Amino acid sequence: MRRLQIRWLPDLSFVAVFLLFDWVSYVDALYGLNITPWNPDPALGLAYWMRYGKRAALPWFIANMLAEILVRDLLAGWLMTAAAAALVTLGYGLIGEVLRHRFRDGNTFGNRTTLFAWLSIVVIGSVLNSLAYISLLYGASLIPQGQWGVAFFRFSIGDIVGIVGSMPLLWMLLSEHGRTRLQAIMLRWETAGYMALAILMLGVVFGHVANVELMHFYFLFLPIVWAATRQGLYGAGLIAFVLQFGIIVVVKWLPIANIPAVELQMLGAVLALVGFFIGVVVDEQRQAAEDLKLTLRLAAAGEMASALAHELNQPITALVAYGKACKELLERGEAGEVLTGAIQKMILESERASDVVRRLRDFFRSGAMRLEVVEVGVIVSAIVEQFATKCREHGVELKIATVPAVSLRADRLQLELVLRNLFANALDEVVKRPPESRLITLSAEKLSGERLRITVEDSGLGISSNAVAHLFEPFVSTKSSGLGLGLVLSRAIVEAHGGSLWAEAGSHGIFRLILPSVDWGEKVGI
Amino acid sequence: MEYKWANQWANKPANRLTVYIVDDDAAVRDALGLLLSVRGYRTAVFANGEGFLNAWQSDWVGCLIIDIRMPGMDGLTLQKRLVELNCHLPVIIITGHGDAGLARQAFKASAIDFLEKPLDDEKLIDAIVEAFRREETALNEMQRGERLLQVLKELTPREREVMDLVVTGKHNREIAPALGISVRTVEVHKANLMAKLGISSVPDLVRISMLYRQD
Repeated sequence: MRRLQIRWLPDLSFVAVFLLFDWVSYVDALYGLNITPWNPDPALGLAYWMRYGKRAALPWFIANMLAEILVRDLLAGWLMTAAAAALVTLGYGLIGEVLRHRFRDGNTFGNRTTLFAWLSIVVIGSVLNSLAYISLLYGASLIPQGQWGVAFFRFSIGDIVGIVGSMPLLWMLLSEHGRTRLQAIMLRWETAGYMALAILMLGVVFGHVANVELMHFYFLFLPIVWAATRQGLYGAGLIAFVLQFGIIVVVKWLPIANIPAVELQMLGAVLALVGFFIGVVVDEQRQAAEDLKLTLRLAAAGEMASALAHELNQPITALVAYGKACKELLERGEAGEVLTGAIQKMILESERASDVVRRLRDFFRSGAMRLEVVEVGVIVSAIVEQFATKCREHGVELKIATVPAVSLRADRLQLELVLRNLFANALDEVVKRPPESRLITLSAEKLSGERLRITVEDSGLGISSNAVAHLFEPFVSTKSSGLGLGLVLSRAIVEAHGGSLWAEAGSHGIFRLILPSVDWGEKVGI
Repeated sequence: MEYKWANQWANKPANRLTVYIVDDDAAVRDALGLLLSVRGYRTAVFANGEGFLNAWQSDWVGCLIIDIRMPGMDGLTLQKRLVELNCHLPVIIITGHGDAGLARQAFKASAIDFLEKPLDDEKLIDAIVEAFRREETALNEMQRGERLLQVLKELTPREREVMDLVVTGKHNREIAPALGISVRTVEVHKANLMAKLGISSVPDLVRISMLYRQD
């Protein structure tokens, strides 16, 4: 019994909501038939069909029949009503199947292409369906002689308007994911804001009914645009439905004699379409931004991994070779100085590897910025320490100008990463020069407005003004290894600190970064 | 050039073949040097390409292990410079990160192998064995050539004359009147010179004369 209930619950609910829709939208009907300017029932049916497939056919047929019986007192007689209901169910069932086939992946309103495809299928399908339905009624003489064209026009417009206005929202409501998202949107103050604006604008447009010529209809675009630009398709779907409903209310309860209801409904459909297209574009753009962010994050991880692989590779290569050598020595029973020396070196290399891992862990731990007040001098000397050996090895002179006693509120590790990156670049550049002209200079000076400028210069060949423009774009690298993200990441880090980083064109390499400093008098977090 | 690890374990037949290691990382070159010495190879290590080029002598034989990523002259540049210098030591490239493009370049410059760090020592040894095999083949070829050259120099003037005519495709019957000697004598000279050169057919003789023609 319980299982039966659950199995039939969606169908029962569907029939109930269908009848409600039919009753609400049964306005301004032609010849007392279900030829109305706004017909949202097929929207419900199609959304249901897309969700459940052919299973939706029977409840839809029953709902159609019940609607004729309850809402229209079985105007056309039993047989005719049944035939018409069957025809409509069949016609929309076909549209439903086409939609289901086209949007197998469920991405019906995901982008402009699918939105357009959906619109085309719905419009063409509705026109064909109306053609069949109206011809049937006309053949049964339920539509007066010579009125075929009018009836066809009204019916197809009513269906299209109804589907366009309501289907996206119904489609959202019929999936778990859609409901969750919709709920999240509904709970925002902003949603209440544009809803209120929509009601206000409906008031403005239809307020003085007496002289209405739909002169101020364009005010209705405001809430639509608001909702769509801020909340994408979901916002647009919501507001489109509300506006359609509002217009129905106006038509049903306010005597607007001089405006044909069909015109109002066309307005509703256009409003909805504008909203959907804006919404989809907004969604697409947001998705693209998200994708890009992810790509950058992945690229950053890749950059780190590549650097790490290189850093770890050396000690591991040495460790393996030492280890194998030791094994061989032991097998030969040699335990002299060479063996001790090799083992000693293995310990050193292990420590080197651990150090790399430790530094990496620190970096990832500080993935979120951890701001602390640090003295510039501390950061600079940490970097100098890291590069001193390398510079000596390559005969590079490292000149550090006097660093002012200024503190920064910064993530020490991230800032170190930036400077390390700049130094590594500088080193790569200067080693291309003859040994006597290999110089890297770091200087720092206080600027007005509590700012500090750090300059890293190298005696390399400098950067052309053309290259400066592209230097901070991702994937621009002059090196054979790496993705060219070092500078991109560095700039991102500096900007996250409220500073800026740029290169200057010239006959030698110049990189400058400006960071907000903490006034020395101010004691923060100490 | 630094010989870090004494070659005290050399259990291979004493020869001049040496593994030359060029890597900027002190620990890596030291460790590789030790491992290969333990395995019985003569090794010599260099901190960079420039160092190797400065030390290089044309009579060095063996093979080179070069790290691709080094500050200053990188591995591929060193490989190119060696070719320019007419140094034909077989090259094994090692790298911290496998890059198909770099590997292709290395192989184009006829590297023996392209190995990724951390190194699989079996693969490394295989590569060295292969490198040495090629080096030895080349050396043998060269020695054979030198020997032949020596023999050619030691041929008697008459044998030399006979040989020069034989390789132009002339028959003994034609050679005899040209040199004013009997056919029988031509046959004797020909047999003698072929025996000296260690060959048994006229085509071999033609090949040798083409290779070592002295104008």
